[in-house]
Amino acid sequence: MRVFFATDIHGSEVCWRKFLNAASFYKADLVVLGGDVTGKIMVPVVAHDGYWQAVVRGETIRMETRAELEEIQKKIRNAGHYPAVVSPDELQALSDEEGAVDRRFSAEMTRSLDRWLDMADGKLGGGDIPCILNGGNDDIWEIDDIIEASPSVTFGEAKSLDLDGFHLVSMGWTNPTPWNTFREAPEEQLKEKIDAVVSQIPDMGRAIFNFHAPPYGTGLDEAPALDETLRPTHGGAVMKPVGSTAVRDAINNYQPMLSVHGHIHESRGIKRMGRTLAINPGSVYSDGVLQGAVLELNAKKGKVTKYLLVNG
Amino acid sequence: MATDAIGGETPTLFLRKATGLVRGWSVRDSIIYACLATNFVTLGLYEFTFAGPAFPKGQFITATLISGVWVSFLVIAYAGLVVTIPRAGGDYVWQSRILGSGIGFVLAATGWWFILWLWAPIYGNILSVQLFEPLWATLKWTWPAGGAAWFGTNNGIFIVTLITIALAGVLVSLGMAGYAKIQRWFFVGGMVGFAVVVVLLLVNSHASFVSSFNLEGQKLFGVHNAYQATNAAAHKAGYTTSPFGFGPLGPTMLLVPAFMFFLLWPNWGTTLYGEVRGASDFRRVFSGMFAGLWITVICTVIFFLLIAKTVGWGFYQNLNALDYNLTPTFGIWPYPFMFAGWLVHNTAFQVALILVLSLWFFAWVGTLFLSSTRVIFAAAFDRVLPDRAAEVSERRKVPVYSLILMLLPAAGLAAVYAYSTTFRTYTLDATLVIAVTYLGSAIAVVLLPFVKPDLWRASPASRIKLLGVPIVPVAGVITIGLLVFNLYEWLSNDSYFVNSHASLVYMGAMYVLAIVIYVIARLVRSRQGIDLSLINKEIPVE
Repeated sequence: MRVFFATDIHGSEVCWRKFLNAASFYKADLVVLGGDVTGKIMVPVVAHDGYWQAVVRGETIRMETRAELEEIQKKIRNAGHYPAVVSPDELQALSDEEGAVDRRFSAEMTRSLDRWLDMADGKLGGGDIPCILNGGNDDIWEIDDIIEASPSVTFGEAKSLDLDGFHLVSMGWTNPTPWNTFREAPEEQLKEKIDAVVSQIPDMGRAIFNFHAPPYGTGLDEAPALDETLRPTHGGAVMKPVGSTAVRDAINNYQPMLSVHGHIHESRGIKRMGRTLAINPGSVYSDGVLQGAVLELNAKKGKVTKYLLVNG
Repeated sequence: MATDAIGGETPTLFLRKATGLVRGWSVRDSIIYACLATNFVTLGLYEFTFAGPAFPKGQFITATLISGVWVSFLVIAYAGLVVTIPRAGGDYVWQSRILGSGIGFVLAATGWWFILWLWAPIYGNILSVQLFEPLWATLKWTWPAGGAAWFGTNNGIFIVTLITIALAGVLVSLGMAGYAKIQRWFFVGGMVGFAVVVVLLLVNSHASFVSSFNLEGQKLFGVHNAYQATNAAAHKAGYTTSPFGFGPLGPTMLLVPAFMFFLLWPNWGTTLYGEVRGASDFRRVFSGMFAGLWITVICTVIFFLLIAKTVGWGFYQNLNALDYNLTPTFGIWPYPFMFAGWLVHNTAFQVALILVLSLWFFAWVGTLFLSSTRVIFAAAFDRVLPDRAAEVSERRKVPVYSLILMLLPAAGLAAVYAYSTTFRTYTLDATLVIAVTYLGSAIAVVLLPFVKPDLWRASPASRIKLLGVPIVPVAGVITIGLLVFNLYEWLSNDSYFVNSHASLVYMGAMYVLAIVIYVIARLVRSRQGIDLSLINKEIPVE
């Protein structure tokens, strides 16, 4: 079975479109997106009388026609940002009202995901090509039900999915980060979550872990060391491991055939951990490039026979 | 969900709290790295010893300023690449994406890995001549046999190079975290040392320098009237230098390819993280490299002016000429900072000054193999090298196989370098091969708007314009001009010692090795059913 795995597209619509095309491009039998589907940035597009205005990557852009507006919205979405069309008053309200930005962010995120899943219905043949999605630590809770309801995409979180004799378990939770995001938990709690989901696997020899957090200290979890103001220290030259010890211990103890991860975008890499092949394809979503891993799984041998990290 | 608004009273962007939204790193850090990379003490002083005698009609200040201006365009081009594809992989990633995987691998492997094998003995030699030789001489230590001069012997060069390789290997193994902390302080210490040299040369007269030089030369080396003896020996050898000045331009331009030995590296190690990118990122990346480059240029010019004022320009070049002819006045490399320390007749002070100035070396040596590790890991993850090349030992977190791939060839080349004076003259090969890699990136930046138009349009670099023309690709063209000029001179002019048959074979072998590795990887992986051409093939969007 050939699997395509990608992760951390963070709202980039161009990456999502590429992900949907990846099955046919790489001739994959299964595609998996390992969490952090939603974006981090919302760009207000202010509607004035007769024109719209937005600042995109530092440049003020004035749009006179609806076609221009759509073009800029597309550009914003492709970068992983959410265009929020607002009146000047609405923009003022976003600035002034407590929680207004959060509400608008959630609305834009869920609306965008709805659109994405509609695209998936068309691209994945209504479920002919299995597609697994789960949340990541940056994803709001509202996305879970939306993905669950999709006819073409399977929500993988905390489930053991049987895929042609392989058992895929997923967990979008990570160890704590400096940003205090949604699905974070101390290592002890992560261990409990992992044990709970792994206990559903009947045959560890054919198990695939899809855990958003990479294993600690494996080279798959190297991020720039930050100071207390979240500024990279020493010109970004110093990296440090920031992965999860619970994930590392689970891989070492259970020894699945494959373990795929994301979360740390800079740490694209491959690591052998006993019989387990652990992979983090990394992410450069903001460039519109979909990094991923093409994996050939052999059910008989219970191993990964081929693998390649790609920049699609 | 906590959020931040950017844009002042009228927000232009809302950020929610999410992983990886880091602030830009400090420009000060970037300046320090650029200063250390264009290390005018270790690399600059070392190169001047060669450049003066090789091009006696060239003017150093003019050549430094021309080089600084020209390399500034390289800084613009690289800043454009960094903010467009801000990956730590640097040239390998840019060239693979824009020019293709094969070109990316060959140019990165040669420029950031294989040629570092030659840089290892160059580093070792610099450590010898800027620390061990002057220290031994000042303290009059006679062990090993020959004292200070032993470090210039074949065995001396070889042993010190092995020490350097071991030191750089240990620093890579330990990781950059600890080293980076002390690196900054080493830079500060090195700058303080240079400031002391500046003060000494500023407040003392030429006559005072001559008498101090003669006094200490007699005391430490037993050379009578060393100043006059140096001038006489250079004159006897037929060496004449041009008076200190600014022209003529023709011979001065020939110094530019020599000065690339230290001025071509302000972009070394520049990375960018974070996902919110704008024009300010371009300014920040550019400012760090540009300021680092020009601090080096200014320090170099100050050094030349002070040499002319206090040491005597002709005498300085005579010292260099005698070393160039393998007959140095004192039997060791003419270290100008040691001579400046002689203005204070106190051994403890002289030793302290040598030690403080050696911080320029120690702040710089740690990055010797860092780029090699990155390229080896990236190539292994791309399945071009065996997976083992990227393995890190479980217990000590040491990248064992990549270290072997760096250290063993470096040690082998150290032996060739140490025991072959001919091979030692290929020093500028080390610059040439990296310049070829840079040429690949300069071509990539020029092609970027055409090959990856979406990426280019989304980049802050595309909005940096002068008279409506994007500056970055234009800077790329000017950088190509700089690199092609240098390559032409290196390859056509015998005075740089890189166009000899053996030197060309040596450099050519590196490119052949890289091509062979890549072709074998393609064939082997193809037999395994892995298509390496897929690595950078873009998935259709629609």
